[in-house]
Amino acid sequence: MTDKFHLGWFTNFAPPVWEGQFSGQNGATWANGKFYQDMARSLERARFDYIMLEDSSMVSDAYEGSSRADLKHHLYAPKHDPLPLMPLLAAATKNLGIVATASTSFYPPYQLARTMTTLDHLTGGRAGWNIVTSSEDRAAQNYGRATLEEHDSRYDRADEFVEVVDKLWNSWEPGALLMDRETGQYVDHTKVHPIHHDGQFYTVRGPLNAMPGPQRKPVICQAGGSPRGRQFAAEHADTIIAQSRGVERMKAYRDDIRARATAAGRNPDDIKVLFIVSPLVAATDEEAQEIWAARTVSAEANVERALAHLSALTEVDFSKFDLDEPVPGDVTTNGHRTTLAEFLKLGDDGRTLREVAAGWNINAVDLVGSVDTVADQMGEVMAHVGGDGFLISGPMTRPYIGEVTEGLVPALQARGLTRTDYLTAGANGAPTFRDNLLAF
Amino acid sequence: MFHLGWFLSFSTQAWHAPHSDRGGLFPNTDVYVDFARALERAGFDYLMIEDGSFIPDAYGSSMEHSLRTGFASPKHDPMALVPLLAASTEKIGLIATMTTSFYPPFLAARLMTTLDHLSGGRVGFNLVTAHNDRTAQNYGMDKHWDHSERYAIATDWAQAVTALLTSWDEDAVVDDTVNGVYADHTKIHQTDYAGDYFSSRGPLNVPPGPQRIPVICQAGGSPVGRAFASRFADTIVAPSGSIEWMKQYRTDIRAGLVDAGRDPDAVKVLFLTDFIIGDTHEDALELQRRRHAAMVADIEGRLAYMSFASGIDFSTFDLDAPVPPVSTNAAKTTTAQMFAGREHQTLREIASTIIPSLEIVGSPATAADQMEAVMAEVGGDGFLVNSPITPRAIADIAGDLAPELRRRGLIRSEYTADTLRGNLTAY
Amino acid sequence: MFHMGWFMGTGFGVYNWNQRWSGNVSSDVGNPQLFVDMATSLERAGFSYMMLEDSSVLPNVHRGTFESSVKNGGTIRFDPVPLIPFLTQATKNIGIVATISTSFYHPFMAARLFSTLDHVTNGRVGMNLVTSSNKSAMQNYGLKDLIPHDERYDRANEWVDVVKALWNSWDEDAVLMDEVNGVFADHTKVHTVDFEGKYYRSRGPLNTIPGPQRHPVICQAGGSDAGREFGARNADTIIAAVKGVEEMKSYRDDVSARMIAMGRDPKDVKVLFLISPVLADSKAAAEEKNAAMLKASAENIDAQVAGFSYFTSTDWSKYDYDEPFPDLSKNEGHQSTMNDFARSGATIREAVTNHRTQESVPLIGTPESIATEMGEYMDYAGGDGFLIAKPVTRQNITEIADGLAPALRKQGLIRPSYEHSTFRDNLLAY
Repeated sequence: MTDKFHLGWFTNFAPPVWEGQFSGQNGATWANGKFYQDMARSLERARFDYIMLEDSSMVSDAYEGSSRADLKHHLYAPKHDPLPLMPLLAAATKNLGIVATASTSFYPPYQLARTMTTLDHLTGGRAGWNIVTSSEDRAAQNYGRATLEEHDSRYDRADEFVEVVDKLWNSWEPGALLMDRETGQYVDHTKVHPIHHDGQFYTVRGPLNAMPGPQRKPVICQAGGSPRGRQFAAEHADTIIAQSRGVERMKAYRDDIRARATAAGRNPDDIKVLFIVSPLVAATDEEAQEIWAARTVSAEANVERALAHLSALTEVDFSKFDLDEPVPGDVTTNGHRTTLAEFLKLGDDGRTLREVAAGWNINAVDLVGSVDTVADQMGEVMAHVGGDGFLISGPMTRPYIGEVTEGLVPALQARGLTRTDYLTAGANGAPTFRDNLLAF
Repeated sequence: MFHLGWFLSFSTQAWHAPHSDRGGLFPNTDVYVDFARALERAGFDYLMIEDGSFIPDAYGSSMEHSLRTGFASPKHDPMALVPLLAASTEKIGLIATMTTSFYPPFLAARLMTTLDHLSGGRVGFNLVTAHNDRTAQNYGMDKHWDHSERYAIATDWAQAVTALLTSWDEDAVVDDTVNGVYADHTKIHQTDYAGDYFSSRGPLNVPPGPQRIPVICQAGGSPVGRAFASRFADTIVAPSGSIEWMKQYRTDIRAGLVDAGRDPDAVKVLFLTDFIIGDTHEDALELQRRRHAAMVADIEGRLAYMSFASGIDFSTFDLDAPVPPVSTNAAKTTTAQMFAGREHQTLREIASTIIPSLEIVGSPATAADQMEAVMAEVGGDGFLVNSPITPRAIADIAGDLAPELRRRGLIRSEYTADTLRGNLTAY
Repeated sequence: MFHMGWFMGTGFGVYNWNQRWSGNVSSDVGNPQLFVDMATSLERAGFSYMMLEDSSVLPNVHRGTFESSVKNGGTIRFDPVPLIPFLTQATKNIGIVATISTSFYHPFMAARLFSTLDHVTNGRVGMNLVTSSNKSAMQNYGLKDLIPHDERYDRANEWVDVVKALWNSWDEDAVLMDEVNGVFADHTKVHTVDFEGKYYRSRGPLNTIPGPQRHPVICQAGGSDAGREFGARNADTIIAAVKGVEEMKSYRDDVSARMIAMGRDPKDVKVLFLISPVLADSKAAAEEKNAAMLKASAENIDAQVAGFSYFTSTDWSKYDYDEPFPDLSKNEGHQSTMNDFARSGATIREAVTNHRTQESVPLIGTPESIATEMGEYMDYAGGDGFLIAKPVTRQNITEIADGLAPALRKQGLIRPSYEHSTFRDNLLAY
């Protein structure tokens, strides 16, 4: 029985912090990918399981009915396609898993299956796919629809999408690749099969024209808070991004996922649930608290960023509400339901919209202190919840990344809480992303 | 299975010949990076960079021939190239020549250890005593030490270097973050080496690398050379000749190792071999015929080579008269081999004769047959490709021949170890 | 505009092992990646060069054992020369300077090695010349004892003359590569050197062809009189460890005066001053950080004093730390550094607690405030730049490369981009 838990980092292929005092030339150069390559190296040094690149395909004008705020704070744009970044991150690393987001609402399944297989080869068995169904009408409008499909219907589509890509990934049997010089035969056609899928949403003949990669099927990542989302995740995911707030709800979420997985005939240990946190570490607890307090003050003065983000996520225009009144109660979304619900709940204590927005984060628990304090805390939380790890998210600056990889992680490793080395061998030869995920 | 290596110089690579890489002309280092990667893909044990620190001027008593043709000059320092190759590869061994006559032992031990770390345990060092007076004169001497004294110096040198390389016990690095101790000072020792030629207080100020003592390579056919090799070498660059000669050579080497108290299987003898590969066996024979004809026609080039090896200016000799007895303080064995049994031949006849050495000539398939037969007869341990680095040579040998050898299970299909010594001794 | 460099205090060594914010340094020991990341970061910041200090000894003077040397790995130094190609392969413009000792490298070997490196690095290599100041290092090389200070510089001057003569042994137009006539190089343009000096002899010529810089950059540090003469005579860049802006100015003026006396143009040597800026988001936070560092240093006085034992080849653990600093003006080791301490009148403990040897002027604040101060100091001193002398950790590197450098750039104080392809040209551009 191990005490070890997993680490991931949650980010996207978008501008890092560009205007801070320690942001270098990030604003001008991020799009060449090097900032993220350096970050991937740092994560690998710290033996993270994976980097997760979220994604979306729209410029938001939900806030104030204009894209001003979105583009000012670079919330949803610019955001570049994470798939082409994956080979660059792979070239800079050897073991780190690389997960990128692609939407089942917009990708043709055959294309996604083929791209992911190609990437599994290019990354040496380290590719992962974060499944989203998308959550914005503006995105749907970029793909020719007036509105996004309704929430549950999206998940029905996603179910079938995953069924199709699974069939495609299995359309080549093991051993199909022969390379037989005697007969001059590269591939054995009797081991490559059409899938003849004919479903509610998709008709796909197959077979895939790409050979299976080292993992045969990329690691599947998914975030899903709604019941429908949880069911989907429990059935399909290898790793789940969880947003539950507080140790009790974290534990409840994980237990629920595991129960659903068991009911679906899966081994619950095969799913690693990672909880989003944004640790703030400093030389001492006092210093960390001071920085935290200063950030809160600053956030209250700059609450537009948080509100614009929330507006984009939920497509509700939060600029319409009075900042210094209590949080409105009767707001709904076809987009990120859980996120909205969690936000609205924060207003239960009567605080104003400004206060709540300033303090809004999607962290499972607050982690503020010296590296020793935070490492201890993380260990305690994991012991209570049962597993499986944390997904770090935070200000995208090199110093912050360094505080985690060069400061916090060594403290975790000293306590035996995170790995000190990746596997040297996997289930079928060289260790893959999935092998390392399942190592403990 | 047998081993493969490639013997090269960090110099112009057939700059003027057909098949030379105009895009990668010397001193472009990209060519060497591509080359190292190609050999690694083909499963070679190592590449070995020979070296020298002088511009030949024996022939014609002038540097003219050497500089005009690019023969044995310019030659760049292989220690500057090895890190670049290490950064660009993961498994292949990298052996660079180091002279025991002019590298201070402390500098050598420290450099070796650093390179061992930087390459992940894949470096080796080919120890030479340096060639001739001109080299010695670059280092401020009037004349080089005589041949046997050079080897006495080399022996003392190797002992000093070994003492330094072992000045940190294997378990000196403790990395104890709880008690704040990186290394245990009680396991680090002054060497206080005091030999006939060298002294060194030690210890090294660096922890040992993955191999602790990097692979030592050695060539040198003279009796003192062989004695040195028996004590220190892990791999030997052997001249080739007839099959019988090669078999005897290896037998002698192995006997010498046993006498020195070492396991003969731990030392791999690789024979310098010329390869001529064609699409068909007949094509290859034709290529061989043309190559030999060109060599024979280039009398000046042949004489320049002989002058280089011996230090004797053969341009002053009558081409059409027999050659008076010669001896040298330079490359003793090579020089002796040139004239052995040829007292009645003219210089022209001698220069026109290709010195018998192993040539593998054929298609990839027939070449593989020959290599298999040679190894079966000689007993081991492998071949050292002796060729300039041209795109053609790389394609023929690493691209066509090696895969054929692999298909037959004659060379490794993958590297099983992480270090050069590990892969050398894997079989 | 002025130049920025980084003085890597223990070269290709082990930095801040087992300290907060340093990551798992153990897996970095002997591994080039930290330094590769440093090179790419400093190139992002437009630095002119990184300088790898070096020494060839594992000290056991302090308390007579190796303990203080290897307890935190701080005196381990790998040979910096093989690291150079790793750094230049990952970058395009930044210069890389490695230290070699004129006492241990024969000039022919150094000339050949650096000529080759000039090619391998596409014209971006430099050598920092030291004469070696440590008895044990000499004994590692089988040499009996330290050569007296001034004689070391006589030898070093001659050593440089040999090396430069060898670098000049091929005329600029010796290499023809004339395929029509089959001539690689013209032998009439390749010359023996026939150097016969008091300390060195070498026939030459080099058997390497000249590289892009022809003469790799020569760097030097050494504030004694003989050292300054040596630098003024031979160097392209000089590292200065002085105290205060007045001394910065007088050092630069002194170098210029010496150069003029030798017939050199003062603009041909760039003098860079050591600094160790303490950076934070606010001035107050930076002051706190600085105070914490000094406190930690005072609590670990033995480690600092071990450094003195090494510099002077004497065991300082025998001294009372609360007595005045001893006068070591005759010390054959690091003369000027020890003189600074003795002059200050402080006790050993005070000197250690309040000084950092690696800074000419204290700089504590935000990137912007420090950049402003640096600009003012440089204006006053008259040139030519600064060397960061902080431990090589990723956090220190990013603070400088992504914090201080952009602030300097914003004020037009450092280059916005590299204009030339070789190190020498970028160094001498202004």
